[in-house]
Amino acid sequence: MEYISIMFMQGLSFLELKYHTLLSYLINLSHVVLRKVSGASIYNEPCIDRLVELRTVLERLRPIDKRLKYQIDKLVKTAVTGESSDASSFRANPDNMVSKLDEDADENEDEDAATEKKSVYVPPKLAPVRYDGDESAASRQEKLLERAKRRALSSAMVRELREEFLDAPTELGSRVDSGAGPSGPSKEDRERQEYEETYFTRLPETKDKRKKRKLPTIGSLANELTNFESDFRVLEGEVMPTKKRKSSKKPTGKKGKKGFKKRKSR
Amino acid sequence: MTEGTATIRTRKFMSNRLLNRKQMVVDVIHPGQASIAKTVIREKLAKMYKAPADTIFVFGFKTAFGGGKTTGFGLIYDTLDFAKKFEPKYRLARHGLYERPKTTRKQRKERKNRMKKVRGTKKTKVGAAAAKK
Repeated sequence: MEYISIMFMQGLSFLELKYHTLLSYLINLSHVVLRKVSGASIYNEPCIDRLVELRTVLERLRPIDKRLKYQIDKLVKTAVTGESSDASSFRANPDNMVSKLDEDADENEDEDAATEKKSVYVPPKLAPVRYDGDESAASRQEKLLERAKRRALSSAMVRELREEFLDAPTELGSRVDSGAGPSGPSKEDRERQEYEETYFTRLPETKDKRKKRKLPTIGSLANELTNFESDFRVLEGEVMPTKKRKSSKKPTGKKGKKGFKKRKSR
Repeated sequence: MTEGTATIRTRKFMSNRLLNRKQMVVDVIHPGQASIAKTVIREKLAKMYKAPADTIFVFGFKTAFGGGKTTGFGLIYDTLDFAKKFEPKYRLARHGLYERPKTTRKQRKERKNRMKKVRGTKKTKVGAAAAKK
């Protein structure tokens, strides 16, 4: 009686259920066999219904049993051999993970997956790129504003105003070659200088550098003269800096190539 | 060191033991004048570093826009032999220590093609004779 009470103390466990159902099934089966052997019919016997019921329960138990199989086997093995202190005996066994029956199915799946992926080419991400996922929109706006302010402060108009109103002595003879920008030589120029001085060579002048030398204000003069309004606005912190748009799309006109009229006008 | 109003300063001085020389970046400041001749700069450097002027090689002088400052490179070899060994031929030629052959490329190729037609010791005769043409 004690033994039974200990067994059912925490409810009926899975394994116990399995044993009980198996036992009942065997009993009922042996009853049916006995009846058949002694010549009696088993039509409308209650034990048939019981057998069917127990059979369904066993069927339901089977997948759960399969999942527990590994663990139970492991525990039984350790109980039998008596070694439970060795922790490495519980490590994963990768050979058991590969299913030997399903190899063909897996290969077919891989091929299908490969052909599916071929349709969309994703280039490999090799070069490191700045990560700005953690930056909130507000902080980004702040940084943009900050940069715009700095640019505005060093623009030509502001520099001229500074010269006019401040008492600092005017600086003449600033070199255009190496001291081009308001803050001295640009990063490119500085790098070139360093390279030349380290390796004792002179790098040849590139085409755009030559053009810049011949026509120094070619691309920038008009912009400098006309952008000062937006710069001042930015300094006061009023307007958000808008991105400089590239030159707008060429107007295609009414007639496209070969004289065909375009249906939709842009 | 000044002469007139030109100043020579050296930067990034390094003693290159592998090539037995001292190398530096030379800054010449000459406000209101044209850039200084290389021979003058060599003499100045000779006085500054107490080295014979023929072991000093300067090159690569670029004047900054607006004038007044010129930057170039300078090398001071330990001896003239090392200089002849390590310097490129064109810089030696500037000092008169090397004469490049006067034959043009075309002539050399023609000579080679003439020599191709002949076998053995006759090659030298062919080369010398035909070159006089």
